[in-house]
Amino acid sequence: MKFNRRRLALTLLVAVAVTALATTSAAGAAKSGGLPKGNYTLTVFADQDWVRPPELALAKKFKQQTGITVKYDIIPDSSYQQVLTTKLNSGQEPGDIYMGQPPGGTGSGLQTTFSVLKHAVDLSKQPWVSREFANARALATYKGKLWGQTIWDTVSGSWIIVYNKADFATAGITSLPRTFSQFTADCAALKAKGINPIYEPISDGWHQVLWFAENMSKAADESSGLVANLNNNKATFAGTPLAVTALTQIHSLYQSGYFGPTSLTDTFANTVPNMSSGKYAMTVNTVTLPTQINAADPSIPTTNYGFMPVPILNNQYVNQNPGGPTKFVYRQGKHVAGAEEYLDFLAEPANLNYQIARSTSFVTLDFNGVKSKWTPAEAAFVKAYKPNPQPVMQVSVNYVNPQWSQIGTDMAAMFTGQLSPTAVLQNIDDRRKQEAQAARDPHWR
Amino acid sequence: MNPPTASTSATVRAVRRAGARGRLGWGRRARKPQDSYYPTWFAGGALALYLLLVLLPGLLGIGLAFTNWTAYTTKLHWTGVANFHALFAPHSFFVIAMENTLLFTVATVVLKTVIALGLAVLLTSGLKRLASLYRAIIFLPNLLPYVAVGIVFKSLLDPTTGLVNSTLRTLALGGLARNWLGDIHLALWSVIGVDTWKGVGYIMVIMIAGLLGIPRELYESASCDGASGWQSFRYITLPMLKPVFAVTTVINLVYALRVFDIVYVLTSGGPGYATATVYTTIFSQVGLGQYGVATAFSSLFLIVMLALSFVVIRVLHRPELQS
Repeated sequence: MKFNRRRLALTLLVAVAVTALATTSAAGAAKSGGLPKGNYTLTVFADQDWVRPPELALAKKFKQQTGITVKYDIIPDSSYQQVLTTKLNSGQEPGDIYMGQPPGGTGSGLQTTFSVLKHAVDLSKQPWVSREFANARALATYKGKLWGQTIWDTVSGSWIIVYNKADFATAGITSLPRTFSQFTADCAALKAKGINPIYEPISDGWHQVLWFAENMSKAADESSGLVANLNNNKATFAGTPLAVTALTQIHSLYQSGYFGPTSLTDTFANTVPNMSSGKYAMTVNTVTLPTQINAADPSIPTTNYGFMPVPILNNQYVNQNPGGPTKFVYRQGKHVAGAEEYLDFLAEPANLNYQIARSTSFVTLDFNGVKSKWTPAEAAFVKAYKPNPQPVMQVSVNYVNPQWSQIGTDMAAMFTGQLSPTAVLQNIDDRRKQEAQAARDPHWR
Repeated sequence: MNPPTASTSATVRAVRRAGARGRLGWGRRARKPQDSYYPTWFAGGALALYLLLVLLPGLLGIGLAFTNWTAYTTKLHWTGVANFHALFAPHSFFVIAMENTLLFTVATVVLKTVIALGLAVLLTSGLKRLASLYRAIIFLPNLLPYVAVGIVFKSLLDPTTGLVNSTLRTLALGGLARNWLGDIHLALWSVIGVDTWKGVGYIMVIMIAGLLGIPRELYESASCDGASGWQSFRYITLPMLKPVFAVTTVINLVYALRVFDIVYVLTSGGPGYATATVYTTIFSQVGLGQYGVATAFSSLFLIVMLALSFVVIRVLHRPELQS
């Protein structure tokens, strides 16, 4: 009898507590107009290189304001795209927000790479849309709808060569190379002095592709109609002599040992320590690398470094890429409203300026009305070289960006003698054909 | 022994007939005990689950290898052997992946078996003190997750800052320092080394169990007959361990043919395709949304795995010696 009374008392106590909690939650929800306030976690699925510390600080500020915790699921460079597409293709939720680099081209790549029609939320009517740069919005637009938000430095974010002035002086290099042959001569001079000419992190699988894809815009500038022909399946990469030349030049840099003895295992994450050590004279990076080096070691001033275009195909343009890592809201996620609220928060002018001020890798962002922070050297470089009238190839040509990591693997195979430059280009064409047919592109029927 | 008489033969025939008809004794029909059906029911349930959840999806999967199944397909169509044809296209790396996988398999099976056997013999016949502690230490890596092992060894094998090369340089052996995971001629062997280090403890434990099951009298008899240690090992230990070798070889074989984790964490199949295996390549195709091609490769490899397993079991299996 005593046991039954105790059981009954406990059951009643639990029932009262549950009822009280439920009533409180309902009242709270009613008060906030139906949106559940706080008490849940938003997950952002992102590549390790796409999230800067200021954004993480903003996530904490967002939690203070709304009670919503934002957790970043960071995936290593070398496997991010594969893991994301595997999750999306197999129906697994990557997170409430997932990030990706828009493939460019005619926009269908957004669907084939990120399944936006099935998995992403239409953000066209969000309040921050009108402030985002039009060319960045265009890359995240498909079938007339905006599917993602890009907060990135697409202005100073061009990939150029950052060089160590002291190393150049040691090698007796007094003027910057303007052709590929001058560039290789300078590399030879550096190597003769015991300085590794170029820090090239091949291990991550994506960096080496920049040498090719970014500078193919030079080929597009020289060959009228190349981009249109590639998109209409009237031209192939393997059949484009300038593409073969570009890859052959890049291959020759590796064969000559200009990428250093450990390039196959070097990682992008170690760029700052390797460049600050002086052991490497050059690397392909953005104009903000000296700022990052100075932030890591204040004894190294930013003026120790200079900039020049990547001289593949004798390029002297600053390549233009209006795109950057983009956030998509996962439609099947449990917290779509919270995810939209977070994107809106990140795009607030004060928060954009917060990111610019506190990030060593942003000079500006692709939103109107932000406060840029160009250094004199950065501003002088952008002024000294013309922007390429053609955007980079991964933006202008269909079905290139989605196979970026496969191109990187093929280029690593090329460096190690497993593939020829022509074979790499043929693989690019084969994969473009596969994806075009899967997307039912009429030019590939 | 006396030859059977006619009456004996008749009795035997009668007993056989009675057994065939289920009769035992005079005028009584023998009934099969209900207990004898229980194993069938239990096994049948498990078999049904296996058929439904493993075999049937597997067979359906093989069927999908003949279709145009991709991440973007809305309607499946029969495409014949197009997916299989893609595996052997001029720039396809499936052949390289197959070669790497077979090399990995042979190397790890041999290395794990030989090293595990050596350690097992040492810990059963050699070392007496603290043998259990050594067994535990050697078995410990087997408990670690593959991802954790991969991350640790990726750091250890870094050519510039890794502990392996740093130690070699400190010991004035800098000439032996290598780019362990970045040299296309060494990368696969480095992965084999790491995998062997991790898995040898598990095989050793199975070998120890096999060694402890060998009757001591055989060794005593051999010793009395003047057999040396090596002769005892060769003519007693090895033959008696053949069933154990069959088990460990099949375990190692099936694991090695399906290897993915350790390769993906250490090298992601690189540099280039130097350490690409069947399953890293299949994963790569799944990532591209090419499900039909990935299924074709895994179906083809299933046949290879079945054939190899069958050969191994036939070669190594033999009835145990009667004691």
